[in-house]
Amino acid sequence: MQIIQEALAGTLESSDLFVRVSPSEGPLELILNSEVQHQFGDQIRKVAQETFAKLGVSEGATVIIEDKGALDCVIEARLEAALLRAAGDKSVEWETLS
Amino acid sequence: MSDGLEFLTVEPASDPVARREIVDLLASCGLDYEKQIEFFVTARQEGRLVACAGFEKGIIKDVAICQTLRGSAISLRLVSEVTYLAHSQGYQILFVYTEPHNADFFLGCGFYPLVEVPGQTALLENTPVGIKNYCASLAHYKVEADKIGCVVANANPFTLGHLYLITEAAKSCDWLHLFIVKEDASLFSYHDRFMLAKEMTKDIPNLTLHGGSKYMVSRATFPAYFFKDKGMVGQCRTAVDLLLFRKYIAPALGVTHRFVGTEPFCDTTRKYNNDMKFWLQEPSSIAHSIEVVELERTKRSGIAVSASEVRRLLAGGNFEKIKEFVPKPTFDLIMNKYATSV
Repeated sequence: MQIIQEALAGTLESSDLFVRVSPSEGPLELILNSEVQHQFGDQIRKVAQETFAKLGVSEGATVIIEDKGALDCVIEARLEAALLRAAGDKSVEWETLS
Repeated sequence: MSDGLEFLTVEPASDPVARREIVDLLASCGLDYEKQIEFFVTARQEGRLVACAGFEKGIIKDVAICQTLRGSAISLRLVSEVTYLAHSQGYQILFVYTEPHNADFFLGCGFYPLVEVPGQTALLENTPVGIKNYCASLAHYKVEADKIGCVVANANPFTLGHLYLITEAAKSCDWLHLFIVKEDASLFSYHDRFMLAKEMTKDIPNLTLHGGSKYMVSRATFPAYFFKDKGMVGQCRTAVDLLLFRKYIAPALGVTHRFVGTEPFCDTTRKYNNDMKFWLQEPSSIAHSIEVVELERTKRSGIAVSASEVRRLLAGGNFEKIKEFVPKPTFDLIMNKYATSV
């Protein structure tokens, strides 16, 4: 999947996360800022990498996450939404995503 | 939402009732209402306005939250809402000015510090990589040498004064970096200003011409330059822009000297030049100092050549006089684009 535009998802509220995806040149870059970085930083990165792999995003994007202590399922959902928006995909079959 | 908060975007210009409430809320928080702000995100609780955040062309301003709700989650929703509003208008990177003691509020909302003028103001942006990526892109043009000069010009329009300053600066340096201010808030468009600079400097061998950016003499870093009757008070009007240059841009390119022409006419530019000596040269722990070299303006018929003088002549339709002050490409452009409209 190719990232063609800037996109946002989520909020900065507690237990949520704010995701900003922008097109870039070069490898995929993930920048994580989390209130629970010390305890869950690695886990959040793992969820993010799995989501990138699932959607086939491996380059050409910068992904910035401002996490406010979201659960894994929320992180995955917000990331998916942001990446699909950033890919300009209007024909998403949301039901098939799991 | 259980907290009963309702968020709504309003345009104060067309909504006098909401505007009145915003002015009152800002006043209760010790802030002045800025009438050029185009949009406010407002939060209401039981019909009463309890928080607002203004947004104007990439800059968040006039953020106020009523006393009783401070420290609650309302701030995070407010900033989220403004970010989506900005995104819908095509603004990805947002800046915010705040008093340094309030900077923590924004640090918790996805903002990152750029520069601080101690005790006066702090500028933040909502990305951890904005200035970093910009400097990385500049670093490609870094030239390793002892004396690296820099000129930042609006060149509105490009005059013989610019040509003189740039030529002299290039002669005295190993390499010269020339930046053309990007903000399209001047009489001459960025495209025209840049193309004229390109044409006029193409024969200078030790010069790199750069487009400007939002980190340099822009609406965000130096609002007073473009809106000369407004802007922040006192010293910090120019300090933010100059500190950004010193802390980020100059190190990325290895700039050691910054060149300016003396300014006989425009008060804002004159103040900028004076402040430059202070903010760039004063010893500081944040970055190496940069030597400011002020060159006496070149004169024609006893009058110092300056772009503001050219614009004044243009407004008066005095084309013969303009001819003395500008190179031929600038004159041709003026005749093409502006001669008929005067």
